[in-house]
Amino acid sequence: MIRKEAMQVVLDEIKNEPIISANGYISRDLFELKEKNTNFYMIGSMGLASSIGLGVAIKKPQKRIFIFDGDGNILMNLGSLTTIGTLKPKNLVHVIFDNNSHESTGGQPTNSNKIQISELAKISNYHVFVATKKFQLKSILKQLKKIPGPIMIVIKIKNSQKHSHRVSLDPPIIKNRFMKALLEKN
Amino acid sequence: MKKAFQRSVFDFLVKNGIKNFTGVPDSTLNHFISYGLSKKKIIISTREEEAIGIAVGMTLSKSSSLVFMQNAGFANSLSTITSLVQLYKIPIIFLIGWRGFLKNDAPEHYKIGKIQPDLIKALQLPTKIISDKNWEKNCSWAIKKIRNNQPCALVIKREFYD
Repeated sequence: MIRKEAMQVVLDEIKNEPIISANGYISRDLFELKEKNTNFYMIGSMGLASSIGLGVAIKKPQKRIFIFDGDGNILMNLGSLTTIGTLKPKNLVHVIFDNNSHESTGGQPTNSNKIQISELAKISNYHVFVATKKFQLKSILKQLKKIPGPIMIVIKIKNSQKHSHRVSLDPPIIKNRFMKALLEKN
Repeated sequence: MKKAFQRSVFDFLVKNGIKNFTGVPDSTLNHFISYGLSKKKIIISTREEEAIGIAVGMTLSKSSSLVFMQNAGFANSLSTITSLVQLYKIPIIFLIGWRGFLKNDAPEHYKIGKIQPDLIKALQLPTKIISDKNWEKNCSWAIKKIRNNQPCALVIKREFYD
């Protein structure tokens, strides 16, 4: 699977639940696949999608919060795994699109094939799933609602040939409509 | 005096609607943080930028937040402040303990402490220094700022030795 294919499978399971997406191609792919008010595109501040997601999850316990993260992103903020694992928000689903590289900057390698992010998450109190194929990912997503968070799904993906366009919304607009969407009931 | 002042600041901010306090501990702010911990209102983060991320998430949920840190941690956070807090216009209060203010503070604090005012100026982040004399006025100023959707900073000088 490439990221866009994997992301589409996850998006098929998400209705109006908020998504916080990491910078680079992750936010760009989300913007192209399913543009919505409930998406918070984090276009800068690499590494912090998981922390923003944690803040929302704590304050909105009645909503399931999805974080779309990358291997390069979470490796920049590994401490957040311990904070999330300590606070244990039941409604947090942390999806890692793991291509073992910084694809957005030209495909330079990360360490995610030597040190498994899934193992780091396990010792940080997450319920962890790993998927490499579409059918595995689909069956994991079907089980999600029965399992209390924090949940992590590591999806091993391949790099893409075609790249999505930039997120063309002004950041304050992304913020304002996301805040408004958070006020609505699911 | 220092203890009473920092506790008063905490109570004042809570009374004025600040719900969340997250950050990295700092000895200058010790009494503020310890008091908040005893009230179970503090989340200790692993890095300053992580704290900013959490505070942003809470603020997006319409729950007002403050991030505390040492000035060295503020320097760590410059890029996050520009590319997240200021870019999206997210109203949070930074509370910064300023080391290196005394000339003979520990050597690791000297240079970063010296350039702290320049860093704040370069960021164009509205800032006030608070003391036991002016805290109420300046904390009210900060509350007003975030109600107007603007991030801002309050700084407490390190005017004592360990």
